Amino acid sequence: MDLLSFVNFYLIPGIVLGAIYALGAIGITLVFGVLRFAHLAHGDMATLGAFLALALVTGLGLNPWVALPFAMAATAVIAVTLHWLFYEHLRRRSAILTVIASLGVALMLRAVVQVIWGADSQSYVGGITRPESYFGIRIKDRELWTLGATVALVIGLQLFLTFTRWGKAMRAMSDNPDLARLSGIDTRLTTALTWTIIGLLCAAAGFFLGINTELKPLMGWYMLLPMFAAAILGGVGRIEGAILGGMVIGIAEECSVLFLPAEYKSALAFVILLIMLAVRPTGLLRGKVL
Amino acid sequence: MSHTQTGGPILSVAGVSGGYGGADILHGIDMTVGPHEIVGIVGPNGAGKSTALKAIFGLVQVRGGAIRFENRDITGWAPNRIVRCGIGYVPQVDNVFREMTVAENLEMGAFLRRHGLDEALERVYTLFPDLVEKRRKAAGSLSGGQRQMVAFGRALMLDPQLLLLDEPTAGLSPRYREQIFQIVRDVRAAGVAVLLVEQHAKQALAFCDRAYVLASGRNRAEGTGPGLVADREIAQMFLGG
Repeated sequence: MDLLSFVNFYLIPGIVLGAIYALGAIGITLVFGVLRFAHLAHGDMATLGAFLALALVTGLGLNPWVALPFAMAATAVIAVTLHWLFYEHLRRRSAILTVIASLGVALMLRAVVQVIWGADSQSYVGGITRPESYFGIRIKDRELWTLGATVALVIGLQLFLTFTRWGKAMRAMSDNPDLARLSGIDTRLTTALTWTIIGLLCAAAGFFLGINTELKPLMGWYMLLPMFAAAILGGVGRIEGAILGGMVIGIAEECSVLFLPAEYKSALAFVILLIMLAVRPTGLLRGKVL
Repeated sequence: MSHTQTGGPILSVAGVSGGYGGADILHGIDMTVGPHEIVGIVGPNGAGKSTALKAIFGLVQVRGGAIRFENRDITGWAPNRIVRCGIGYVPQVDNVFREMTVAENLEMGAFLRRHGLDEALERVYTLFPDLVEKRRKAAGSLSGGQRQMVAFGRALMLDPQLLLLDEPTAGLSPRYREQIFQIVRDVRAAGVAVLLVEQHAKQALAFCDRAYVLASGRNRAEGTGPGLVADREIAQMFLGG
């Protein structure tokens, strides 16, 4: 196989998948960094976001890319609501209770998606899209859009965390929650803000997976392991680590079919995670707070 | 007890008892702090020194007595309300945001401040000139003494009239200890009263205007710093000979 076919058939799909995993892993790292628990409903929240966009596409006839920001906003509202309903009152209890509660939320969200949209595969647009060729490198428009939107979201998030008052408050709460409270930072509002961002990122990740493959009620659940693997691989609590981890897992999964039967593709994230935990448990970039 | 300034105390603690969970650690303690005063709380381990500070700042449940600050009853207020009314608190450990820069640490101290951030920063940098060149460094990477400056600076960003310091010299070498005491004097010179808990009683008493000796959650003695050191009985019983 020549280099160009490797790039076209393995590397580019790997990078696109990696970008989707990265968005999910950033959300997982935010929950872990600021709220200190492993959010098992992350994948199903992404599924819900993807299907909300589908509702806007089929119901109102919107272009999927126009529907995306609305679906993101709606998922953010749902994320904050779920926090108030299910996690807020467990705040002072052991973190494992919140983790298990999030598993319950995951099952609920999946059930809601199945009840409303059914169990069959769906897609935003029918037909087959042919990739454009740029100097021999073949890439589809929607893949370019996915990568561009991911880069924009990540840059926006980094700017927000580095330069704004509330972004810094999120980092302060991640760094030292007690001191944040002593400094007069409103930790309830900061928590709500964190969930808002998580909802936005979840919906984007689900939408990108849906538009590049198809929409299935279990799509987010299957994405949960690679997303967690990506967050841990990169070093939990580090956004740049989540991006790196997402890319490694995404590209490794797509390239694995070169030397492994395709059925083992989704087991690969698990293998990478196990090796990583054995060799360097803090992640590629040493884990820290935000 | 006379105060160094006229006009009465800014903080008065009267008969305060309380503690964590069910059991009381404080059994009716009394203390006052006047404007521009440095007041120490000393005593043996487990005397309730840090708990007294936490009770004032609303971090420990107060079950009896009253705490008044600037003629307002602040008993039972939450810390984020107390911080607004002019009391700053520096915990003993974990008192900086380690991964954030010095400047960001100070900014977080002024989170409640809508205006005058630059002036507040300017004031803290004037008080702690060492921090100016470190302002883009992560607070966790600084030396113990500089980290305390960041912690003090963060608590001073809201312009408090009273600063509560919980064992500011804990874990620091004697050389740094003197540096911290000097910083406390500088803070007072900037017009802020200080109430501090100190493990190294003798060294602390030598520079506090007044001090309270606590034991088993009760007042045991009070007086000027040098006066308490000179009192043989107090010195032997509570200050380690």
